Amino acid sequence: MNLKIKIRNLQKKFGSKMVLNNLNLEIFDNESLAIIGESGSGKSVLTKCINGLTEYNNGKIIYENSYDVKNLKTEEKGLHISKFGVLFQNSALFDSLDVEKNIFFSCSGKKDFSILKDVGLDKSVLPKMPAEISVGVQKRVGLARAIMSKPKILIFDEPTTGLDPIIADQINKLIRDLVIKKKLTTITITHDMKSVYEYADKVAFIRNGKIEWYGQVKQLKNCKNIYMKNFISGKIK
Amino acid sequence: MQNFFTNLLYLPKNIGKLTYLFFDSLGFRVIFFLKCIKSCFTPIYYPDLILKQIIKIGYNSLPVVGMTAIFTGMVLALQSYTGFSRFSAESAIPNVVVLSITRELSPVLAGLMVAGRAGAAIAAEIGTMKVTEQIDALKTLSTNPLNYLVAPRIIAGLISLPILVFVGDIVGVFGGYLICVYVLSFNPEVFLVNVFNFVEFVDVFSGLVKASVFGLIITFMGCYHGFHARGGAQGVGLATTYSVVSSSIMILLFNYILTSLFFQI
Repeated sequence: MNLKIKIRNLQKKFGSKMVLNNLNLEIFDNESLAIIGESGSGKSVLTKCINGLTEYNNGKIIYENSYDVKNLKTEEKGLHISKFGVLFQNSALFDSLDVEKNIFFSCSGKKDFSILKDVGLDKSVLPKMPAEISVGVQKRVGLARAIMSKPKILIFDEPTTGLDPIIADQINKLIRDLVIKKKLTTITITHDMKSVYEYADKVAFIRNGKIEWYGQVKQLKNCKNIYMKNFISGKIK
Repeated sequence: MQNFFTNLLYLPKNIGKLTYLFFDSLGFRVIFFLKCIKSCFTPIYYPDLILKQIIKIGYNSLPVVGMTAIFTGMVLALQSYTGFSRFSAESAIPNVVVLSITRELSPVLAGLMVAGRAGAAIAAEIGTMKVTEQIDALKTLSTNPLNYLVAPRIIAGLISLPILVFVGDIVGVFGGYLICVYVLSFNPEVFLVNVFNFVEFVDVFSGLVKASVFGLIITFMGCYHGFHARGGAQGVGLATTYSVVSSSIMILLFNYILTSLFFQI
């Protein structure tokens, strides 16, 4: 598999607090990577550094062996950011626009309504405002909007947070089907191990701003790392 | 005693730190301002958003600006009468009303009212978009947030405020007319002749120039504080407060600067 993103010695500080500390990671083409870790461990910050939404202090993020994200000029950074589709934690739908305008925000030509089927929505939802739809439907709309721009990499920021188990399962299955169908490179930030087992190929566990454990999903069962084992089981031993 | 000298040694350090923070913050605002102005001249315009903002900032502020102007004109006529009647100069009341309203009161009061109404709304709307990651979402959808969110508001502010102030001028003078004619028993024709003979183009023009500057200040401050909101609802609340307070202070400061400039012309 081709190397999509290579991260070397990444450092990110907020004031005096070091959130990412010499972090190293590799993300391959058509791979589904899940990033797990405790709350506040820097998972969201890492993805924002990768897609260029946040500046980082030191280190390198090399995209497709061609450029370092840090060295991009303003216009180039805009192009880099647009290579990523993001399903934000709270969907981040535009409050002032209806569902149709949200989904087709980046679409200038003819609207392809088949996207609705891909995310399990029907046309009746299109004229509604984001405040009028449930959190589960908001996630689907956010997902449709993210894939509408035909990104090279999809980022899911805690896609099942705040959902009941049934809806969370539906969203997991939806993402799995999309990952298989579209053959996209995906990065998923999650606390939900169900999501990891459902569609991730590899897992990276962040602790204290570093990758504490990295490997295939099937290797999780034999994992020796105590922090990782605690996280997977949801119990402190 | 030793503590006193130790604290004294920290004084220059603290002064230095505060000076650094002041210029750092000022520089940050100036850079953001220049980016905002650049976004207004970038040929990616959203006419529908500009129109929507003109309605929000301008049209929806008409009642509050109109009410402020009419009552100010009425109070001005009454108070002028109290003073001028003491040396039999009641005939100068229309002149004082029109001059005060057009040059000073209408632009400043309209500016303060719009800062409280539309400026706060801009800060709250953009602040909410910031804390709910909608601004990040815009970036991932190949849309520059400055072009999409800031430029339409600034352009709308620049267009709306002069129109609001012009309406405020007419309504404010009408307030003075009502008091002079129906309370102080002025001849209506004499009042109107006095107003039209006395008022000059520069009186109205200076008020409209001030209004444009105030429109820029209000929309910029709303956008700046909204864009830099942090945390959740509390952060948005703070952004709204900062936006109204800083806009109001800047309006009063720039009112003085512009008045002294027009005074020299």
